[in-house]
Amino acid sequence: MHYTLQYGQVLKYLPYLIGGAWISLQIAFLAFCGGMVLGLLGAMGKTFGGSFTKRGVSAYVSFFTNTPQLVQIYFLFFALPEVGILLSSYDAVLIGMTLNAGAYLTEIQRAGFVSVHRSELEAAETMGMSLFQSVWHVIMPHVVKVLFPPLSNLYILMTLGTSMAAIFGLEELTGRAFNVNAVTFRSIEVFSITAGLYFLVTVVASLILTLLGRWLFRVKAKVF
Amino acid sequence: MKNGKLTWIVFSLVFVLVMGVSAAQARTLDEVIKEGVIRVGINPTLPPLGIYNDKNQVDGFDKDFSEAVAQKLGVKLEIVKVGSPDRIPFVAADKIDYVMGGMTRTSARAKIIDFTLPVNTEVLGVLTTDKIAYKDYKEFNKKDITLVQVRGTTPVQFIEKNMPEAKVLLLDNYPDAIRAIAQGRGDAIVDVIDYIFKLTKDHKNVKWRIVDAPVSVDFDCLGIAKGNYTLRDWLNVAIFELHTDGTIDRIWEKWFGGPMIFKIRATEWF
Repeated sequence: MHYTLQYGQVLKYLPYLIGGAWISLQIAFLAFCGGMVLGLLGAMGKTFGGSFTKRGVSAYVSFFTNTPQLVQIYFLFFALPEVGILLSSYDAVLIGMTLNAGAYLTEIQRAGFVSVHRSELEAAETMGMSLFQSVWHVIMPHVVKVLFPPLSNLYILMTLGTSMAAIFGLEELTGRAFNVNAVTFRSIEVFSITAGLYFLVTVVASLILTLLGRWLFRVKAKVF
Repeated sequence: MKNGKLTWIVFSLVFVLVMGVSAAQARTLDEVIKEGVIRVGINPTLPPLGIYNDKNQVDGFDKDFSEAVAQKLGVKLEIVKVGSPDRIPFVAADKIDYVMGGMTRTSARAKIIDFTLPVNTEVLGVLTTDKIAYKDYKEFNKKDITLVQVRGTTPVQFIEKNMPEAKVLLLDNYPDAIRAIAQGRGDAIVDVIDYIFKLTKDHKNVKWRIVDAPVSVDFDCLGIAKGNYTLRDWLNVAIFELHTDGTIDRIWEKWFGGPMIFKIRATEWF
């Protein structure tokens, strides 16, 4: 069968789709930043904490890395209202993705912590640094350099993972693509443009992350 | 169910093709009785009108209704599975004697096939809760109203055009949409009430309410081949009897979990 591509019918929705891509980018970026903080705390707890903290962090990590993100957000969106907590679509997705990212980032950052030489930590202690100071000045610059590739990968996965937010009524890129598809019936055109936009979004996002890494922690990552 | 323009064009094309290759004659009432079987087109993907049961057989309102028709006629029922775009060509090409599957009568369709008297109605209306006392769908066209709809369904476009002020929350499926209203995320849903009302049974703590004035009412009939009056006239009498003796109501309540929302008035002049 011959199918004639009709991009003209879909292109007028491009600004609408780009608006959706902006929401996807926002959600992924905020969730990643939140996840980094959570993960840093988790990694610190797991490396330096007492046995109680360690167990708590492990429970959190194994719960969130062993259940699907979709189910976690479904719980936040549809189960919490039963106990009187009504999160908006945006909040539910953001919180869910942050908690999920936090669990993965705990493990990633803990692996980085372990890679720091004991002697460097002892040197920091000798210089009278507090735990937070030695994490920020000694461990983080080291960890970020080692972990930059896995972090970027996770970030890209998270950006693409925002596509399931449409299920919870968030009008991000995929949700809007479905809306346009329902009006135009031009599935191939709509979803090829959507794929292109996701590609752009992830490229732009990794660029920003690279620049951030170079500026904050002098990571020797190539911009292009 | 009403279909869009696109489906209409597609089925017209299919119709022309099918008619081109087969010049079959529709079976008259006598022939149906003589051959002892009536062939009925049912769409098994339109629950609860047509579904596959746990034995993977076609079941549902349409099947039970046709069972009753076959019994009245004293013949066997043969179910032919049809889809929304191909169901009218099936009738026109005499592959079936009549077709169901939410056959809304429209003047456009009536150019190609004949319709019997209506069997059931489909009400496009507003389902809300007792928190909102509005009596007409137009009253829901307000900024502080959130309509919870299912992404990709036709009412979404209806709302964009006719209720542009209302906020819309688009979810993935009907159970989620109904749950969202029960939980207070939104105020109402605009859709075919007959098909979605069953889902409210999962949320008994909420007082559900169907807004009095429907947006529109579609009449679903049996679609039969153009000019097959012997069969149509008999079917009309049978439909009248099935309405007045309560058979249709009973089958409807069995499959829809409640009475038909917009009742068909079967008078003696029906």
